[in-house]
Amino acid sequence: MTEFLFFIEVVVAGLLSGTMYSLVALGFVLIYKASSTFNFAQGAMVFFAVLAFVGFMELGIPFIPAFFVTVLLMVLVGFCTERLVLNPLMNQSEDTLLMATIGLGFVLEGLAQAAWGVEVRRLDLGIGDFPIEWIIDNLGLFVSALDLTAGLVAAGMITVLALMFKYTKMGLGLRAVADDPGAASSIGIPLKNIMLLVWSAAGVVALVAGMMWGARAGVQFALVDLALKALPVLIIGGFSSIPGAIIGGLIIGASEKVLEVYLGPFFGGAIEGWAPYVLAIFFLLYRPEGLFGEKIIRRV
Amino acid sequence: MNKNLDTILAIDNIEVMYDGVISALHDVTLSVPKGNIVALLGGNGAGKSTTLKAVSTMLASERGKVTKGSIRYDGHLIKNQNPTDMVRLGMVQVLEGRRCFGHLTVEENIISGAYSRKLSKQEIKNELEKIYNYFNRIKDRRKSQAGFTSGGEQQMIAVARAMMAKPKMLLLDEPSMGLAPQLVAEIFNIVRELNQKEGVSILLAEQNTNVALRNADYGYIIETGHVMLEGTAESLLKDEKVKELYLGISKEGRKNFRDVLREESA
Repeated sequence: MTEFLFFIEVVVAGLLSGTMYSLVALGFVLIYKASSTFNFAQGAMVFFAVLAFVGFMELGIPFIPAFFVTVLLMVLVGFCTERLVLNPLMNQSEDTLLMATIGLGFVLEGLAQAAWGVEVRRLDLGIGDFPIEWIIDNLGLFVSALDLTAGLVAAGMITVLALMFKYTKMGLGLRAVADDPGAASSIGIPLKNIMLLVWSAAGVVALVAGMMWGARAGVQFALVDLALKALPVLIIGGFSSIPGAIIGGLIIGASEKVLEVYLGPFFGGAIEGWAPYVLAIFFLLYRPEGLFGEKIIRRV
Repeated sequence: MNKNLDTILAIDNIEVMYDGVISALHDVTLSVPKGNIVALLGGNGAGKSTTLKAVSTMLASERGKVTKGSIRYDGHLIKNQNPTDMVRLGMVQVLEGRRCFGHLTVEENIISGAYSRKLSKQEIKNELEKIYNYFNRIKDRRKSQAGFTSGGEQQMIAVARAMMAKPKMLLLDEPSMGLAPQLVAEIFNIVRELNQKEGVSILLAEQNTNVALRNADYGYIIETGHVMLEGTAESLLKDEKVKELYLGISKEGRKNFRDVLREESA
Protein backbone atom coordinates (compact mmCIF):
# COMPACT_ATOMS: atom_id res chain seq x y z
CA MET A 1 0.00 0.00 0.00
CA THR A 2 2.74 2.48 0.92
CA GLU A 3 4.38 1.43 -2.32
CA PHE A 4 1.25 2.55 -4.20
CA LEU A 5 0.89 5.76 -2.19
CA PHE A 6 4.47 6.59 -3.04
CA PHE A 7 3.71 6.08 -6.72
CA ILE A 8 0.72 8.43 -6.45
CA GLU A 9 2.92 11.00 -4.72
CA VAL A 10 5.43 10.85 -7.54
CA VAL A 11 2.72 11.22 -10.16
CA VAL A 12 1.06 14.12 -8.32
CA ALA A 13 4.36 15.96 -7.92
CA GLY A 14 5.02 15.30 -11.61
CA LEU A 15 1.63 16.56 -12.71
CA LEU A 16 1.97 19.71 -10.63
CA SER A 17 5.39 20.55 -12.04
CA GLY A 18 3.96 19.59 -15.42
CA THR A 19 1.44 22.44 -15.23
CA MET A 20 4.41 24.80 -15.31
CA TYR A 21 5.66 23.17 -18.49
CA SER A 22 2.14 23.55 -19.85
CA LEU A 23 2.17 27.23 -19.04
CA VAL A 24 5.50 27.85 -20.74
CA ALA A 25 4.47 25.72 -23.70
CA LEU A 26 1.35 27.87 -23.94
CA GLY A 27 3.60 30.88 -24.50
CA PHE A 28 5.18 29.04 -27.42
CA VAL A 29 1.82 27.97 -28.83
CA LEU A 30 0.51 31.55 -28.78
CA ILE A 31 3.38 32.82 -30.85
CA TYR A 32 3.44 29.77 -33.07
CA LYS A 33 -0.24 30.23 -33.87
CA ALA A 34 0.09 33.90 -34.76
CA SER A 35 3.37 33.90 -36.65
CA SER A 36 4.05 30.20 -37.28
CA THR A 37 7.51 30.44 -35.84
CA PHE A 38 9.03 28.64 -32.87
CA ASN A 39 9.99 31.41 -30.47
CA PHE A 40 13.44 30.46 -29.24
CA ALA A 41 13.47 33.62 -27.14
CA GLN A 42 10.75 32.26 -24.82
CA GLY A 43 13.35 30.90 -22.36
CA ALA A 44 15.14 34.23 -22.35
CA MET A 45 11.80 35.95 -21.76
CA VAL A 46 11.24 33.79 -18.67
CA PHE A 47 14.68 34.72 -17.38
CA PHE A 48 14.33 38.39 -18.29
CA ALA A 49 10.88 38.70 -16.71
CA VAL A 50 11.65 37.10 -13.38
CA LEU A 51 15.04 38.79 -13.07
CA ALA A 52 13.40 42.15 -13.67
CA PHE A 53 10.73 41.28 -11.09
CA VAL A 54 13.36 40.41 -8.47
CA GLY A 55 15.29 43.51 -9.45
CA PHE A 56 12.26 45.74 -8.85
CA MET A 57 11.66 44.06 -5.48
CA GLU A 58 15.29 44.73 -4.53
CA LEU A 59 14.69 48.41 -5.30
CA GLY A 60 12.18 48.30 -2.48
CA ILE A 61 9.00 48.08 -4.54
CA PRO A 62 6.44 45.84 -2.79
CA PHE A 63 5.37 42.52 -4.28
CA ILE A 64 2.13 43.47 -6.04
CA PRO A 65 3.26 46.77 -7.62
CA ALA A 66 6.50 45.08 -8.68
CA PHE A 67 4.47 42.36 -10.36
CA PHE A 68 2.42 44.87 -12.35
CA VAL A 69 5.46 46.96 -13.27
CA THR A 70 7.04 43.78 -14.64
CA VAL A 71 3.86 42.95 -16.56
CA LEU A 72 4.04 46.42 -18.14
CA LEU A 73 7.70 45.86 -18.92
CA MET A 74 6.87 42.57 -20.67
CA VAL A 75 4.17 44.30 -22.70
CA LEU A 76 6.79 46.86 -23.68
CA VAL A 77 9.16 44.04 -24.66
CA GLY A 78 6.35 42.59 -26.77
CA PHE A 79 5.73 45.97 -28.38
CA CYS A 80 9.42 46.50 -29.20
CA THR A 81 9.69 42.96 -30.56
CA GLU A 82 6.75 43.57 -32.88
CA ARG A 83 8.07 46.96 -34.05
CA LEU A 84 11.78 46.29 -34.28
CA VAL A 85 12.00 42.60 -35.12
CA LEU A 86 8.78 41.17 -36.56
CA ASN A 87 7.44 44.09 -38.53
CA PRO A 88 10.60 44.66 -40.61
CA LEU A 89 10.68 40.90 -41.28
CA MET A 90 7.05 40.71 -42.37
CA ASN A 91 6.55 38.31 -45.30
CA GLN A 92 9.98 36.77 -44.84
CA SER A 93 10.31 33.00 -44.56
CA GLU A 94 9.66 31.18 -41.30
CA ASP A 95 13.36 30.27 -41.06
CA THR A 96 14.26 33.95 -41.04
CA LEU A 97 11.83 34.54 -38.20
CA LEU A 98 13.22 31.58 -36.29
CA MET A 99 16.74 32.98 -36.55
CA ALA A 100 15.43 36.36 -35.46
CA THR A 101 13.93 34.85 -32.30
CA ILE A 102 17.26 33.20 -31.47
CA GLY A 103 18.89 36.63 -31.80
CA LEU A 104 16.15 38.20 -29.71
CA GLY A 105 16.88 35.59 -27.02
CA PHE A 106 20.54 36.65 -26.83
CA VAL A 107 19.56 40.30 -26.66
CA LEU A 108 17.12 39.70 -23.79
CA GLU A 109 19.60 37.53 -21.85
CA GLY A 110 22.26 40.21 -22.28
CA LEU A 111 19.97 43.09 -21.35
CA ALA A 112 18.72 41.29 -18.25
CA GLN A 113 22.20 40.56 -16.98
CA ALA A 114 23.50 44.00 -17.88
CA ALA A 115 20.70 45.59 -15.91
CA TRP A 116 20.49 43.32 -12.90
CA GLY A 117 23.80 41.46 -12.68
CA VAL A 118 24.72 37.83 -13.03
CA GLU A 119 24.53 36.35 -9.52
CA VAL A 120 21.80 33.89 -8.54
CA ARG A 121 18.94 35.63 -6.69
CA ARG A 122 16.57 34.22 -4.18
CA LEU A 123 12.89 34.75 -4.73
CA ASP A 124 10.64 34.31 -1.73
CA LEU A 125 6.97 34.08 -2.61
CA GLY A 126 6.06 33.32 1.01
CA ILE A 127 5.12 29.77 0.07
CA GLY A 128 7.42 27.09 1.36
CA ASP A 129 8.56 24.05 -0.59
CA PHE A 130 7.31 21.69 2.14
CA PRO A 131 4.40 19.21 2.34
CA ILE A 132 0.96 20.41 3.37
CA GLU A 133 -0.13 18.96 6.73
CA TRP A 134 -3.80 18.75 5.83
CA ILE A 135 -3.14 16.52 2.86
CA ILE A 136 -0.80 14.29 4.87
CA ASP A 137 -3.44 13.84 7.56
CA ASN A 138 -6.36 13.21 5.26
CA LEU A 139 -4.89 11.48 2.22
CA GLY A 140 -1.58 10.30 3.49
CA LEU A 141 0.24 11.99 0.61
CA PHE A 142 3.23 14.32 0.72
CA VAL A 143 2.41 17.24 -1.61
CA SER A 144 4.55 20.36 -1.60
CA ALA A 145 2.72 23.65 -1.00
CA LEU A 146 4.81 25.35 -3.66
CA ASP A 147 4.04 22.62 -6.20
CA LEU A 148 0.35 22.89 -5.43
CA THR A 149 0.30 26.69 -5.69
CA ALA A 150 2.26 26.64 -8.95
CA GLY A 151 -0.12 24.02 -10.31
CA LEU A 152 -3.21 26.00 -9.38
CA VAL A 153 -1.83 29.29 -10.72
CA ALA A 154 -0.84 27.65 -14.01
CA ALA A 155 -4.22 25.94 -14.31
CA GLY A 156 -5.97 29.25 -13.62
CA MET A 157 -3.96 31.15 -16.23
CA ILE A 158 -4.47 28.45 -18.81
CA THR A 159 -8.23 28.52 -18.23
CA VAL A 160 -8.38 32.31 -18.52
CA LEU A 161 -6.37 32.29 -21.75
CA ALA A 162 -8.39 29.46 -23.26
CA LEU A 163 -11.69 31.23 -22.47
CA MET A 164 -10.31 34.45 -23.91
CA PHE A 165 -9.47 32.77 -27.20
CA LYS A 166 -12.83 31.13 -27.46
CA TYR A 167 -15.14 33.96 -26.45
CA THR A 168 -13.57 37.38 -26.99
CA LYS A 169 -13.26 39.41 -30.15
CA MET A 170 -9.47 39.56 -29.81
CA GLY A 171 -9.46 35.78 -29.39
CA LEU A 172 -11.46 35.33 -32.57
CA GLY A 173 -9.03 37.65 -34.35
CA LEU A 174 -6.09 35.66 -33.06
CA ARG A 175 -7.55 32.36 -34.22
CA ALA A 176 -8.33 33.87 -37.61
CA VAL A 177 -4.77 35.13 -37.98
CA ALA A 178 -3.47 31.74 -36.87
CA ASP A 179 -5.48 30.08 -39.64
CA ASP A 180 -4.73 32.44 -42.52
CA PRO A 181 -3.00 35.80 -41.93
CA GLY A 182 -3.67 36.96 -45.49
CA ALA A 183 -7.39 36.32 -45.32
CA ALA A 184 -7.52 37.84 -41.83
CA SER A 185 -5.94 41.02 -43.08
CA SER A 186 -8.28 41.11 -46.10
CA ILE A 187 -11.27 41.51 -43.78
CA GLY A 188 -9.60 44.20 -41.72
CA ILE A 189 -8.12 42.30 -38.77
CA PRO A 190 -5.01 44.33 -37.87
CA LEU A 191 -2.12 41.86 -37.75
CA LYS A 192 0.02 44.30 -35.76
CA ASN A 193 -2.40 44.45 -32.83
CA ILE A 194 -2.75 40.69 -32.79
CA MET A 195 1.04 40.25 -32.71
CA LEU A 196 1.30 42.75 -29.88
CA LEU A 197 -1.38 40.88 -27.94
CA VAL A 198 0.30 37.55 -28.46
CA TRP A 199 3.77 38.70 -27.45
CA SER A 200 2.43 40.48 -24.39
CA ALA A 201 0.50 37.40 -23.31
CA ALA A 202 3.59 35.26 -23.86
CA GLY A 203 5.55 37.76 -21.76
CA VAL A 204 3.11 37.55 -18.85
CA VAL A 205 3.09 33.76 -19.05
CA ALA A 206 6.90 33.87 -19.00
CA LEU A 207 6.86 36.04 -15.87
CA VAL A 208 4.54 33.73 -13.95
CA ALA A 209 6.49 30.62 -14.96
CA GLY A 210 9.75 32.35 -14.03
CA MET A 211 8.42 33.29 -10.62
CA MET A 212 7.35 29.75 -9.81
CA TRP A 213 10.58 28.17 -11.02
CA GLY A 214 12.67 30.94 -9.52
CA ALA A 215 11.07 30.42 -6.14
CA ARG A 216 12.18 26.80 -6.12
CA ALA A 217 15.58 26.85 -7.77
CA GLY A 218 16.66 30.47 -7.50
CA VAL A 219 16.52 33.10 -10.21
CA GLN A 220 19.38 32.17 -12.45
CA PHE A 221 20.49 31.68 -16.00
CA ALA A 222 19.50 27.99 -15.96
CA LEU A 223 15.86 29.11 -16.30
CA VAL A 224 16.55 29.73 -19.99
CA ASP A 225 17.24 26.03 -20.56
CA LEU A 226 14.45 24.90 -18.26
CA ALA A 227 12.00 26.76 -20.51
CA LEU A 228 13.24 24.77 -23.48
CA LYS A 229 11.64 21.71 -21.83
CA ALA A 230 8.59 23.12 -23.55
CA LEU A 231 10.01 21.72 -26.78
CA PRO A 232 9.26 18.05 -26.00
CA VAL A 233 5.95 19.22 -24.52
CA LEU A 234 5.05 20.80 -27.84
CA ILE A 235 6.21 17.82 -29.86
CA ILE A 236 3.96 15.58 -27.79
CA GLY A 237 1.02 17.95 -27.59
CA GLY A 238 1.22 19.53 -31.01
CA PHE A 239 2.65 22.96 -31.80
CA SER A 240 -0.58 24.69 -32.59
CA SER A 241 -2.87 23.30 -29.93
CA ILE A 242 -3.70 24.85 -26.58
CA PRO A 243 -5.17 21.61 -25.15
CA GLY A 244 -2.09 19.90 -26.58
CA ALA A 245 0.24 22.19 -24.63
CA ILE A 246 -1.68 21.45 -21.44
CA ILE A 247 -1.84 17.66 -21.82
CA GLY A 248 1.72 17.54 -23.18
CA GLY A 249 3.00 19.42 -20.15
CA LEU A 250 1.22 17.05 -17.77
CA ILE A 251 2.55 14.00 -19.62
CA ILE A 252 6.12 15.31 -19.55
CA GLY A 253 5.85 16.34 -15.91
CA ALA A 254 4.42 13.03 -14.69
CA SER A 255 6.53 10.78 -16.89
CA GLU A 256 9.84 12.45 -16.12
CA LYS A 257 9.26 12.07 -12.38
CA VAL A 258 8.08 8.47 -12.67
CA LEU A 259 10.98 7.54 -14.96
CA GLU A 260 13.44 9.30 -12.66
CA VAL A 261 12.23 7.43 -9.62
CA TYR A 262 11.80 3.97 -11.12
CA LEU A 263 14.31 3.84 -13.98
CA GLY A 264 16.75 6.53 -12.83
CA PRO A 265 18.84 4.19 -10.62
CA PHE A 266 19.62 1.96 -13.63
CA PHE A 267 21.08 4.91 -15.54
CA GLY A 268 22.90 6.44 -12.61
CA GLY A 269 20.13 8.96 -11.89
CA ALA A 270 19.35 12.41 -13.23
CA ILE A 271 17.48 11.09 -16.25
CA GLU A 272 14.83 13.77 -15.65
CA GLY A 273 16.90 16.08 -17.84
CA TRP A 274 16.81 13.95 -20.96
CA ALA A 275 13.97 11.43 -20.59
CA PRO A 276 11.37 13.89 -22.01
CA TYR A 277 13.45 14.31 -25.17
CA VAL A 278 13.54 10.52 -25.66
CA LEU A 279 9.77 10.48 -25.32
CA ALA A 280 9.58 13.30 -27.85
CA ILE A 281 11.65 11.33 -30.35
CA PHE A 282 9.15 8.46 -30.16
CA PHE A 283 6.37 10.90 -30.89
CA LEU A 284 8.29 12.37 -33.83
CA LEU A 285 8.64 8.86 -35.23
CA TYR A 286 5.08 7.68 -34.77
CA ARG A 287 2.87 10.74 -34.48
CA PRO A 288 4.71 13.79 -35.79
CA GLU A 289 1.75 16.16 -35.55
CA GLY A 290 1.52 15.43 -31.81
CA LEU A 291 -1.54 14.30 -29.88
CA PHE A 292 -3.61 17.39 -30.62
CA GLY A 293 -1.73 19.09 -33.42
CA GLU A 294 -3.97 20.49 -36.08
CA LYS A 295 -3.97 18.12 -38.97
CA ILE A 296 -4.08 19.93 -42.22
CA ILE A 297 -7.71 19.81 -43.21
CA ARG A 298 -7.95 18.55 -46.73
CA ARG A 299 -11.19 17.83 -48.49
CA VAL A 300 -11.19 14.75 -50.66
CA MET B 1 -16.88 55.46 -69.60
CA ASN B 2 -17.51 58.97 -68.39
CA LYS B 3 -15.80 59.86 -65.14
CA ASN B 4 -18.59 61.66 -63.36
CA LEU B 5 -19.11 62.04 -59.61
CA ASP B 6 -20.85 58.70 -59.39
CA THR B 7 -17.66 56.77 -59.95
CA ILE B 8 -16.74 54.85 -56.79
CA LEU B 9 -13.45 53.49 -58.09
CA ALA B 10 -11.18 54.99 -60.72
CA ILE B 11 -7.93 53.30 -61.65
CA ASP B 12 -5.83 55.56 -63.81
CA ASN B 13 -3.02 54.13 -65.86
CA ILE B 14 -1.38 52.06 -63.13
CA GLU B 15 1.77 50.03 -63.38
CA VAL B 16 2.58 47.33 -60.80
CA MET B 17 5.95 45.76 -60.07
CA TYR B 18 6.72 42.77 -57.88
CA ASP B 19 10.02 42.79 -55.97
CA GLY B 20 10.90 46.00 -57.80
CA VAL B 21 11.71 44.15 -61.01
CA ILE B 22 8.89 41.95 -62.27
CA SER B 23 6.30 44.09 -63.94
CA ALA B 24 2.80 42.66 -63.71
CA LEU B 25 0.58 45.51 -64.93
CA HIS B 26 1.54 48.12 -67.52
CA ASP B 27 -1.24 50.56 -68.20
CA VAL B 28 -4.48 49.51 -66.63
CA THR B 29 -7.20 52.14 -66.59
CA LEU B 30 -10.69 51.29 -65.50
CA SER B 31 -13.53 52.67 -63.46
CA VAL B 32 -16.47 51.31 -61.51
CA PRO B 33 -19.63 53.44 -61.35
CA LYS B 34 -21.41 53.43 -58.00
CA GLY B 35 -23.84 50.51 -57.70
CA ASN B 36 -22.53 48.70 -60.77
CA ILE B 37 -21.01 45.29 -61.30
CA VAL B 38 -17.89 45.54 -63.42
CA ALA B 39 -16.17 42.42 -64.71
CA LEU B 40 -12.43 42.14 -65.22
CA LEU B 41 -11.80 39.33 -67.66
CA GLY B 42 -8.76 37.50 -68.91
CA GLY B 43 -6.80 34.29 -68.65
CA ASN B 44 -4.27 33.08 -66.12
CA GLY B 45 -1.56 35.60 -65.39
CA ALA B 46 -3.34 38.40 -67.25
CA GLY B 47 -3.17 40.65 -64.21
CA LYS B 48 -6.70 40.39 -62.83
CA SER B 49 -5.70 39.46 -59.30
CA THR B 50 -2.87 41.98 -59.31
CA THR B 51 -5.31 44.74 -60.25
CA LEU B 52 -7.65 43.80 -57.40
CA LYS B 53 -4.79 43.61 -54.92
CA ALA B 54 -3.48 46.98 -56.04
CA VAL B 55 -6.88 48.43 -55.18
CA SER B 56 -7.28 46.66 -51.83
CA THR B 57 -3.61 47.38 -50.93
CA MET B 58 -3.02 43.67 -50.37
CA LEU B 59 -0.09 43.95 -52.81
CA ALA B 60 2.32 45.06 -50.12
CA SER B 61 2.14 41.69 -48.37
CA GLU B 62 3.37 40.07 -51.59
CA ARG B 63 6.14 42.58 -52.11
CA GLY B 64 4.28 44.24 -54.95
CA LYS B 65 4.00 47.97 -55.48
CA VAL B 66 2.05 50.41 -57.63
CA THR B 67 4.86 52.27 -59.39
CA LYS B 68 2.89 54.57 -61.70
CA GLY B 69 -0.60 55.96 -62.05
CA SER B 70 -3.23 56.52 -59.41
CA ILE B 71 -6.15 54.80 -57.75
CA ARG B 72 -9.07 56.84 -56.42
CA TYR B 73 -11.72 55.22 -54.31
CA ASP B 74 -14.78 57.02 -52.93
CA GLY B 75 -13.00 60.36 -52.77
CA HIS B 76 -9.74 58.98 -51.35
CA LEU B 77 -6.44 58.72 -53.15
CA ILE B 78 -5.17 55.20 -52.39
CA LYS B 79 -1.52 55.39 -51.59
CA ASN B 80 -0.22 54.51 -48.14
CA GLN B 81 -3.30 52.79 -46.76
CA ASN B 82 -3.14 49.24 -45.49
CA PRO B 83 -5.90 46.60 -45.84
CA THR B 84 -7.29 47.48 -42.41
CA ASP B 85 -7.73 51.12 -43.51
CA MET B 86 -9.40 49.99 -46.72
CA VAL B 87 -11.89 47.81 -44.87
CA ARG B 88 -12.74 50.80 -42.66
CA LEU B 89 -13.28 52.85 -45.83
CA GLY B 90 -15.76 50.20 -46.93
CA MET B 91 -13.75 48.19 -49.42
CA VAL B 92 -13.33 44.45 -48.89
CA GLN B 93 -11.60 41.95 -51.12
CA VAL B 94 -12.72 38.32 -51.31
CA LEU B 95 -9.46 36.60 -52.12
CA GLU B 96 -8.97 34.02 -54.81
CA GLY B 97 -9.46 30.47 -53.52
CA ARG B 98 -11.99 31.55 -50.85
CA ARG B 99 -9.50 31.36 -47.96
CA CYS B 100 -11.93 30.50 -45.18
CA PHE B 101 -10.56 30.00 -41.69
CA GLY B 102 -10.66 26.20 -41.81
CA HIS B 103 -10.46 25.55 -38.08
CA LEU B 104 -13.14 28.08 -37.18
CA THR B 105 -16.83 27.30 -37.40
CA VAL B 106 -18.86 28.68 -40.29
CA GLU B 107 -20.47 31.22 -37.99
CA GLU B 108 -17.15 32.29 -36.43
CA ASN B 109 -15.85 32.83 -39.95
CA ILE B 110 -18.73 35.11 -40.79
CA ILE B 111 -18.56 37.01 -37.49
CA SER B 112 -14.84 37.60 -38.01
CA GLY B 113 -15.81 39.76 -40.98
CA ALA B 114 -17.26 42.31 -38.56
CA TYR B 115 -13.92 42.69 -36.78
CA SER B 116 -13.39 46.22 -38.06
CA ARG B 117 -16.79 47.36 -36.76
CA LYS B 118 -17.69 48.12 -33.19
CA LEU B 119 -20.85 46.10 -32.69
CA SER B 120 -22.62 44.79 -29.61
CA LYS B 121 -23.48 41.10 -29.29
CA GLN B 122 -27.08 41.87 -30.23
CA GLU B 123 -26.07 43.91 -33.28
CA ILE B 124 -23.85 41.09 -34.46
CA LYS B 125 -26.78 38.70 -34.09
CA ASN B 126 -29.02 40.97 -36.18
CA GLU B 127 -26.36 41.39 -38.85
CA LEU B 128 -25.86 37.61 -38.96
CA GLU B 129 -29.57 37.01 -39.51
CA LYS B 130 -29.57 39.57 -42.30
CA ILE B 131 -26.61 37.88 -43.97
CA TYR B 132 -28.11 34.40 -43.59
CA ASN B 133 -31.12 35.61 -45.57
CA TYR B 134 -28.87 35.79 -48.60
CA PHE B 135 -26.93 32.64 -47.81
CA ASN B 136 -29.54 30.09 -46.74
CA ARG B 137 -27.39 27.13 -47.61
CA ILE B 138 -24.70 27.90 -45.02
CA LYS B 139 -27.15 28.76 -42.24
CA ASP B 140 -27.77 25.05 -41.63
CA ARG B 141 -24.06 24.47 -41.37
CA ARG B 142 -23.27 27.35 -39.03
CA LYS B 143 -21.81 25.11 -36.30
CA SER B 144 -19.58 22.99 -38.56
CA GLN B 145 -15.88 23.59 -39.03
CA ALA B 146 -15.46 25.64 -42.19
CA GLY B 147 -12.62 23.44 -43.44
CA PHE B 148 -15.02 20.55 -43.85
CA THR B 149 -17.65 22.38 -45.91
CA SER B 150 -17.88 22.08 -49.69
CA GLY B 151 -16.20 24.42 -52.16
CA GLY B 152 -19.44 26.22 -52.94
CA GLU B 153 -20.22 26.64 -49.27
CA GLN B 154 -16.74 28.00 -48.65
CA GLN B 155 -17.21 30.56 -51.41
CA MET B 156 -20.45 31.62 -49.77
CA ILE B 157 -18.75 31.84 -46.38
CA ALA B 158 -16.06 34.04 -47.89
CA VAL B 159 -18.58 36.42 -49.46
CA ALA B 160 -20.76 36.42 -46.33
CA ARG B 161 -17.69 37.17 -44.21
CA ALA B 162 -16.81 40.12 -46.43
CA MET B 163 -20.41 41.41 -46.27
CA MET B 164 -20.23 41.49 -42.45
CA ALA B 165 -17.81 44.41 -42.80
CA LYS B 166 -20.70 46.35 -44.39
CA PRO B 167 -18.72 47.23 -47.52
CA LYS B 168 -19.60 49.87 -50.08
CA MET B 169 -17.52 47.97 -52.55
CA LEU B 170 -16.58 44.31 -52.93
CA LEU B 171 -13.66 43.00 -54.93
CA LEU B 172 -14.37 39.39 -55.91
CA ASP B 173 -11.48 37.32 -57.20
CA GLU B 174 -12.65 34.30 -59.22
CA PRO B 175 -15.72 33.30 -57.25
CA SER B 176 -16.50 30.58 -59.82
CA MET B 177 -13.17 28.81 -59.48
CA GLY B 178 -13.51 25.04 -59.28
CA LEU B 179 -17.29 25.05 -58.78
CA ALA B 180 -20.03 23.16 -60.58
CA PRO B 181 -22.15 25.27 -62.99
CA GLN B 182 -25.27 25.25 -60.79
CA LEU B 183 -23.25 26.48 -57.83
CA VAL B 184 -21.63 29.18 -59.93
CA ALA B 185 -25.10 30.31 -60.96
CA GLU B 186 -26.27 30.25 -57.35
CA ILE B 187 -23.33 32.34 -56.19
CA PHE B 188 -23.74 34.87 -58.99
CA ASN B 189 -27.43 35.18 -58.14
CA ILE B 190 -26.50 36.02 -54.57
CA VAL B 191 -23.89 38.52 -55.75
CA ARG B 192 -26.49 40.23 -57.95
CA GLU B 193 -28.96 40.29 -55.08
CA LEU B 194 -26.37 41.87 -52.78
CA ASN B 195 -25.62 44.41 -55.47
CA GLN B 196 -29.27 45.33 -55.92
CA LYS B 197 -30.55 45.17 -52.33
CA GLU B 198 -27.50 46.36 -50.42
CA GLY B 199 -26.24 48.70 -53.14
CA VAL B 200 -22.71 47.26 -53.05
CA SER B 201 -20.56 48.14 -56.03
CA ILE B 202 -18.63 45.16 -57.33
CA LEU B 203 -15.42 44.67 -59.23
CA LEU B 204 -15.25 41.07 -60.31
CA ALA B 205 -12.23 39.23 -61.68
CA GLU B 206 -13.24 36.13 -63.63
CA GLN B 207 -12.01 33.60 -66.14
CA ASN B 208 -15.54 32.41 -66.68
CA THR B 209 -16.29 35.14 -69.23
CA ASN B 210 -19.77 33.97 -70.08
CA VAL B 211 -21.18 33.92 -66.55
CA ALA B 212 -19.36 37.10 -65.59
CA LEU B 213 -20.69 39.12 -68.54
CA ARG B 214 -24.22 37.81 -68.06
CA ASN B 215 -24.19 39.20 -64.53
CA ALA B 216 -22.15 42.37 -64.99
CA ASP B 217 -22.99 45.83 -66.32
CA TYR B 218 -19.65 46.56 -67.89
CA GLY B 219 -16.53 44.58 -68.72
CA TYR B 220 -12.81 44.98 -69.31
CA ILE B 221 -10.64 42.37 -70.95
CA ILE B 222 -7.02 42.37 -69.93
CA GLU B 223 -4.10 40.41 -71.27
CA THR B 224 -0.51 40.42 -70.03
CA GLY B 225 -1.11 43.49 -67.95
CA HIS B 226 -2.83 45.64 -70.60
CA VAL B 227 -6.50 46.47 -71.05
CA MET B 228 -7.27 45.09 -74.54
CA LEU B 229 -10.97 45.78 -74.82
CA GLU B 230 -13.78 47.32 -72.85
CA GLY B 231 -17.49 47.84 -73.24
CA THR B 232 -20.90 47.18 -71.81
CA ALA B 233 -21.46 43.56 -70.89
CA GLU B 234 -24.03 43.26 -73.65
CA SER B 235 -21.72 44.57 -76.36
CA LEU B 236 -18.85 42.34 -75.21
CA LEU B 237 -21.09 39.26 -75.30
CA LYS B 238 -21.89 40.05 -78.94
CA ASP B 239 -18.33 40.98 -79.93
CA GLU B 240 -16.89 38.53 -82.46
CA LYS B 241 -13.36 38.58 -81.02
CA VAL B 242 -14.63 37.99 -77.49
CA LYS B 243 -16.83 35.18 -78.74
CA GLU B 244 -13.97 33.51 -80.52
CA LEU B 245 -11.26 33.98 -77.92
CA TYR B 246 -13.09 33.88 -74.62
CA LEU B 247 -16.40 32.18 -75.20
CA GLY B 248 -15.17 29.48 -77.58
CA ILE B 249 -17.73 30.38 -80.24
CA SER B 250 -16.60 31.20 -83.78
CA LYS B 251 -18.65 32.64 -86.64
CA GLU B 252 -19.38 29.16 -87.92
CA GLY B 253 -20.86 28.14 -84.61
CA ARG B 254 -19.32 26.43 -81.64
CA LYS B 255 -15.65 25.79 -82.04
CA ASN B 256 -14.18 22.83 -80.24
CA PHE B 257 -10.83 21.20 -79.98
CA ARG B 258 -11.52 18.78 -82.85
CA ASP B 259 -12.28 21.70 -85.18
CA VAL B 260 -9.03 23.36 -84.27
CA LEU B 261 -7.09 20.15 -84.97
CA ARG B 262 -8.88 19.71 -88.30
CA GLU B 263 -8.06 23.28 -89.28
CA GLU B 264 -4.43 22.74 -88.40
CA SER B 265 -4.09 19.52 -90.41
CA ALA B 266 -5.87 21.02 -93.42
